Amino acid sequence: MRGVQLSLNKTQKLRLETALEKLESLSSTTSNNSNASVTVADTIPINYEDGVLKGHGTSEMDGRVVATICGVVERVNKLVYVRALRARYKPEIGDIIVGRVIEVAPKRWRLEINFSQDAVLMLSSMNLPDGIQRRRTAVDELNMRSIFEENDIVCAEVRGFQHDGSLYLQARSQKYRKLDRGQLLRISPYLVKRRKQHFHHLDQYGVDLILGCNGFIWVGEHVEAKDDMVVDQMIKSEQENASLSGSVSSCEQEQSHTSVEIRQHICRLANAVRVLSTLGFMVTVELITELVDLSISHNLNIHEMLGAEFYVIVAEKEAERRSLATKKR
Amino acid sequence: MRCITCVTEKEVLYGKRVLLWLQRILVLYFSLPLSLMLRSLQIGLQSMQVHQQPCHIVYTDYRPTPLQHYFFPSGGNGLYLVVDEKGKFRENSFQKALNALVPPGEGDKKRENGKWQKGLFVGKAGEDSDIFKMVKMIIQRQYDPVICFSFSKRECEFLAMQMAKMDLNNEDEKVNIETIFWSAMDMLSEDDKKLPQVSNMLPLLKRGIGVHHSGLLPILKEVIEILFQEGLIKCLFATETFSIGLNMPAKTVVFTNVRKFDGDKFRWISSGEYIQMSGRAGRRGIDERGICILMVDEKLEPSTAKLMVKGSADSLNSAFHLSYNMLLNQIRSEDGDPVNLLRNSFYQFQVDRAIPDLVKQAKSLEEERDSIILEEEDSLENYYSLLQQFKSLKKDVRDIVLSPKYCLPFLQPGRLVSIQLIKVDDNLPSFSVKDDVTLGVIINFERIKGLSEDDTNKKPEDASYTVDILTRCAVHKDEAGKRTISIVPLKDPGEPAVVSLPISQIDSLSSVRLVIPKDLLPVEARENTLKKVSEVLSRFAKDGLPQLDPEDDMKVQSSSYRKAVRRIEALENLFEKHEIAKSPLIEQKLKLLHTKKQLTAKIKSIKRTMRSSTALAFKDELKARKRVLRRLGYVTSDDVVELKGKVACEISSADELTLTELMFNGVLKDIKVEEMVSLLSCFVWQEKLQDAQKPRDELELLFTQLQDTARRVAKVQLECKVQIDVENFVSSFRPDIMEAVFAWAKGSKFYEIMEITQVFEGSLIRAIRRLEEVLQQLIQAAKSIGETELEAKFEDAVIKIKRDIVFAASLYL
Repeated sequence: MRGVQLSLNKTQKLRLETALEKLESLSSTTSNNSNASVTVADTIPINYEDGVLKGHGTSEMDGRVVATICGVVERVNKLVYVRALRARYKPEIGDIIVGRVIEVAPKRWRLEINFSQDAVLMLSSMNLPDGIQRRRTAVDELNMRSIFEENDIVCAEVRGFQHDGSLYLQARSQKYRKLDRGQLLRISPYLVKRRKQHFHHLDQYGVDLILGCNGFIWVGEHVEAKDDMVVDQMIKSEQENASLSGSVSSCEQEQSHTSVEIRQHICRLANAVRVLSTLGFMVTVELITELVDLSISHNLNIHEMLGAEFYVIVAEKEAERRSLATKKR
Repeated sequence: MRCITCVTEKEVLYGKRVLLWLQRILVLYFSLPLSLMLRSLQIGLQSMQVHQQPCHIVYTDYRPTPLQHYFFPSGGNGLYLVVDEKGKFRENSFQKALNALVPPGEGDKKRENGKWQKGLFVGKAGEDSDIFKMVKMIIQRQYDPVICFSFSKRECEFLAMQMAKMDLNNEDEKVNIETIFWSAMDMLSEDDKKLPQVSNMLPLLKRGIGVHHSGLLPILKEVIEILFQEGLIKCLFATETFSIGLNMPAKTVVFTNVRKFDGDKFRWISSGEYIQMSGRAGRRGIDERGICILMVDEKLEPSTAKLMVKGSADSLNSAFHLSYNMLLNQIRSEDGDPVNLLRNSFYQFQVDRAIPDLVKQAKSLEEERDSIILEEEDSLENYYSLLQQFKSLKKDVRDIVLSPKYCLPFLQPGRLVSIQLIKVDDNLPSFSVKDDVTLGVIINFERIKGLSEDDTNKKPEDASYTVDILTRCAVHKDEAGKRTISIVPLKDPGEPAVVSLPISQIDSLSSVRLVIPKDLLPVEARENTLKKVSEVLSRFAKDGLPQLDPEDDMKVQSSSYRKAVRRIEALENLFEKHEIAKSPLIEQKLKLLHTKKQLTAKIKSIKRTMRSSTALAFKDELKARKRVLRRLGYVTSDDVVELKGKVACEISSADELTLTELMFNGVLKDIKVEEMVSLLSCFVWQEKLQDAQKPRDELELLFTQLQDTARRVAKVQLECKVQIDVENFVSSFRPDIMEAVFAWAKGSKFYEIMEITQVFEGSLIRAIRRLEEVLQQLIQAAKSIGETELEAKFEDAVIKIKRDIVFAASLYL
């Protein structure tokens, strides 16, 4: 709870403290490897085993295995490695990330993704807007800014590391795109749990939620991911419609406008994420939607979600939920 | 595959490569135009379905150079035109060819499968072998260049050696060959030039004779290909590989065998293989027609030959299988869904396409069933089920009575028994028999035969016995000269013969014994015995032949027997009372009912297949494999790839699970680089080698560690219901080249390691090249877990094995 700056009154303070204490006691009973956390230069016991593999965050010194970062020791068979806590994002192949374009370079964009270096998205590793796969020409290169500009928010997938260690991204699907009409939130990457699904379409709010593994969270208006073929057909049918009725313009106008309702939903979801991350809880879709429902049931306005009372309520709720879960077990 | 507008793939489908291409096509981004050169329309249809694109089919079976197919009978000396260039099959010359066939070792027609080929090529002493004669003839008639296909590497070399006397090139060409050969060999080191394979090859090549198979050094293979293209090799002995993927036609193609060993037996060459190989005959624009000669060394049916020579391409069957690597890579990426991949697989496609057919089949069968209308169906059905019961009870009783325990003492020579007739031609054999039995006129249809019955093999109780019985038989001879004997009723024409029958075919034993003549060889003696049988039969005609009473005579003491007999009696009563039994045409009606029942059963089974195929073909396997991954800790329960899974993702050229386990158990950590390389060689070597010597102790120890790991992995798979044979899986890791690879990593010269092992040079080189591939993947894997020491070790290993002849650059580059 370091760094939480809340203006709490006395009762709220007390309630929050009890809730957090409860959580702490729960976590210390559930996690049996709490003693496995190490700081830099701590020796990791290996029980004189042979053939120990020393993974990330470890090093050998005078025959001892020593941690080089703060974190939790993890063991897989004979591999020992340290999982860092509260560190920068460490990319893995296949991760979904959200990033901000910081530079348009020859044939590539550079993205800031909260990694120790900038990620590279090559022009060739993304689909062109027209959907045709072909060799990228000089014209394409000149038109790169029509796809992504500086400061655009983009979501993409980690493709792999080049031999020099630089990180490459890819965006070969319709769902990897420029993100607009929404909010970007930055939280600690460790709060985002790796799951099968990181793209979420919250139907009831008409909102897309992208939980980037790098701790960048996107909440924005829902955009229908379209296949090229479908687009073609739609355009065709629209053209037919247009020739019949001649009223496409209103339709287009509607598309560029976000309704107040959806804006409110976006803000509510974003605030839920903010609350969760300040309290240091895992950010998952289920929790986020739960918080939104909670705020509505408490008749809170959007801005009130960031008030002290709501924090306390959430903390208490979470403590209750976890104690229930441990009891069940 | 990133920046392409059109993918052109030729011969997308051949053997193992199918798998690879198919996957590649599957994962291609869908808006890509594909142009595929295919042998099967189905695949085109499938890619159309997967990629949602129209599929234009351009189809041709036109050959610019027509083919003539000849037969060359072994031992004979001449060619017989069997199929002319217009594709007509010439029956008479086919027969002539077969007649010219000199059967080696006459009288002994049953040659064993494995040995048949030996006789042909050795030839009789002093005579030239067939292949020699053949090549000579081809050269004389100027049908060269010629490719002789055989189906094993050793045979290939052996045949080439027989050509030693022949010289097909003039001096100019010889000089030419020598320059080309040595300029190519220049890139080898001095030591490697001394390899026996290299030095032995040149004299052969200079005479215009070449050998081409996968066991050759890659560089030699390429030199030979080049020389062949230049027309400097007139006669090339090749394996099947030469027919695939290389555009190197000749004027003539010779098949030295008509059978091919396919892993467990020698089978005829399939028409698809024949097409592929004969397709090398006839150079476009040079030859007017291609000549294709099949060396025949045994009789074959015209239909077999026709099928082989004129058949169509093999139908394509999916060999798609799930690999863990594939699965992990799919799970890892957000929109990768293994289920999706499976849905698009060709196997699934084939299964899907079969469904409408099945539906149709089921429908027509149902119609057929419904068209059979019976009166009084209920009572008839009742009767039918009674019959079934009666029949099965009868069978039970007979089984008890005729169990060797009881009946053996009574199988004396001379006893009359009744035998069940097995009617081959009757569609419903069991049924008509039953019918008669139920009417209680057993003797009517089961004739009592005269017999001379020896229980030839007096083995212990439970062994099965056959009884030799003298009886009237009809003997048929079919074209192949095989005799089929069928037992016929006594009064029908036929010759008396002694046949062996299993005890189960005896229906009952009578108490009558005849005196039989000692010598049954002359026909008359047998005829006489049969006559006596008829006499006996007529003597007892009034009240039937006296039977051996099971309880009194044979001392059958069994409660189940008595119970069965009692129930039979009860059933017989029921039959008599059953009204429908009196109705005329009962037999036909029952037959109809039987057909109906059979149809119903068939419909049921078809429906079952339909149900199982509508489910995803690989679904169960997919589930099982995911279970394995979870159990071994490669993915979490909500399908997130764990660290181990990430390592396995990197490894695609070897068994990913075993190798990953091996790595995580630290086995690779403590051993020396050479030992590690040698251990990894087990993953890439697949050929089975007889009498390979065991590797030295320390390697042996490592190998057992590998086997243990493999066994553990296999067991987990088995527990998760993946279909796998544990021992088979474990023994798929071969230690045969460990020693050689160890030496290679130590820095030995190639000729030195060739002395250690008997494997073909080319095979070893391929193995080492694959090994390097695996090492590269392991480097990536080590990087992903952050183990820098191991990574450095793998890199070191790559440097150690990547040198000299093994990684000599290709001549084509």
